[in-house]
Amino acid sequence: MALAGAAALVAMPAFTAASGVLNWGFLILLYTALAQSWNLLGGFGGQVNLGHAAFFGIGALATRILWLHGMAVFAALPAGTAAAAAAGLVIGAPGLRLRGPYFAVGTLAVAEILRITVGNILPEVSSLPAARLAAYAIAPRYYLALGLAACVTITARMLAHSRFGYGLAAMREDEEVAEAIGVSTFRYKLLAFIISSGFAGAAGGVFGYYHLSFYPQFAFNPVWTFDALLITFLGGVGTVWGPLAGAVVFLLLREVLALRLVELHLLIFGVLFILIVVALPGGFVEAWRSLPVMRRELVREASNSVADSVRRRRRSP
Amino acid sequence: MTVRPEPFAPHRVQGTLLQVEGLCKAFGGLRAVDDLSFELTEGEILGLLGPNGSGKTTVFNLIAGALRADAGRVRLSGRDITRHPASIRTRLGIARTFQLVRPLPHLTALDNVLVAQLFGRGGGPLRPEARDASRRLLDLVGLGAKTSVPGVNLTLVERKRLEIARALATHPRVLLLDEPLGGLNATEVETALALFRKIRADAITLVIVEHNVPAVRSLCDRLIVLNSGRRIAEGKPDEALARPEVIEVYLGR
Repeated sequence: MALAGAAALVAMPAFTAASGVLNWGFLILLYTALAQSWNLLGGFGGQVNLGHAAFFGIGALATRILWLHGMAVFAALPAGTAAAAAAGLVIGAPGLRLRGPYFAVGTLAVAEILRITVGNILPEVSSLPAARLAAYAIAPRYYLALGLAACVTITARMLAHSRFGYGLAAMREDEEVAEAIGVSTFRYKLLAFIISSGFAGAAGGVFGYYHLSFYPQFAFNPVWTFDALLITFLGGVGTVWGPLAGAVVFLLLREVLALRLVELHLLIFGVLFILIVVALPGGFVEAWRSLPVMRRELVREASNSVADSVRRRRRSP
Repeated sequence: MTVRPEPFAPHRVQGTLLQVEGLCKAFGGLRAVDDLSFELTEGEILGLLGPNGSGKTTVFNLIAGALRADAGRVRLSGRDITRHPASIRTRLGIARTFQLVRPLPHLTALDNVLVAQLFGRGGGPLRPEARDASRRLLDLVGLGAKTSVPGVNLTLVERKRLEIARALATHPRVLLLDEPLGGLNATEVETALALFRKIRADAITLVIVEHNVPAVRSLCDRLIVLNSGRRIAEGKPDEALARPEVIEVYLGR
């Protein structure tokens, strides 16, 4: 099924010239990549980074500036990724000394400081020059997003079944126990943080290559963090396929809600987030997995109650 | 069946394995451990006794690296490990169990042990053999039928066993057991004692904190009795327990 899905995604631009459809595909893949990059540290490692937008922004800014100055996108994108990963090292090395909510608030503060600073230094909107606009096509952007989403998802899958992944899982469950069984928790956290930041930067870079015109500050907006978080929780935090499932649902919902209930749609997302965390802590992926079990239990319960009532009727005179 | 896989054949050398010198730890104004020194001989079972709050668990935390000492040294085979983080000490051969059992709640019993196998002393990449070794350890502690049960769904007794299997999976040279018998019934205590003797027979040195005096008496080669972070008695179990200082601490004058 995954293989057929992948083939369909690769072949999509050949079958549809409608840029609307490809745009949709692009957004789903971009958000999948961004959410999965958050999931690598937040879901698998249990470290809630609320400053994820900063790395998305750094990747977007670096990639776009280099690209607009004449560098090929295939060189500019890795450079943007590297810049975000380096920022991950610089911010993570002191930041990861903080634990739990302190780490979350600390990363949020750092990201906001970066956003405001970028807004002060680069207040002008960044638009594509006429020559670039004339040459603009959606298909290469789509393929770039597809490649990135595939890369991050494959990384998550490899991680889930590796020694590194087991170390992260132990750390997520109980940091002191993880240390006591030999996991160097700080090193593992930092490494996961750098990988997560790098992929967020790559997603930002793809965004910087895709978007026609935006204020540099916009790529640092906390909305990138919270969208990634919401998508991950919708789909299933700490799962390989959660971010993809979450991204599809999130973008469909956003499209419907933002069109009909412009003012209220953020509120609805807020309520949805709380509902998911309370009622489906494993997200859609876990709910789907437990579906057969639930069905079996329902059937067993039903047959038991039928048997009960039959027995009762026999006993009664 | 042996607890230890082949690369870690029993150490035949009998000597000092662990040295604690002038260890101090204060929490605010409270001196939890106050200038404590002792040595641990390879292959012995040492009991750490003392009333509640006498500093036993703090001593464990200082040896295992969960807490940093204010003063003093900890040496393993002569090597100073006082400043090493807990994870490095584990990889050098110090394992511990927690008094309040702490399974990794959302990992299965097997994965709980497997992580320790992968990251402990001589740990390595994720291979099927590592999983087999973890399964054997779960068999050893009597959790062979619970491999796929998440930590959070185990009973207290099962969690205690899991703690021990997980600690053993790090291939320790010294195993620190913090009240492993608390909450167990008489039969379970007997089973646990047999297991500890078996672990010792595999050349793992044991330090045990325990309130169950008859069990300690039958199991330990030597006792150290603490009060207010200081050693008040030391010796063979019967001798140490008969000392007037010890009786006074437990029963009053």
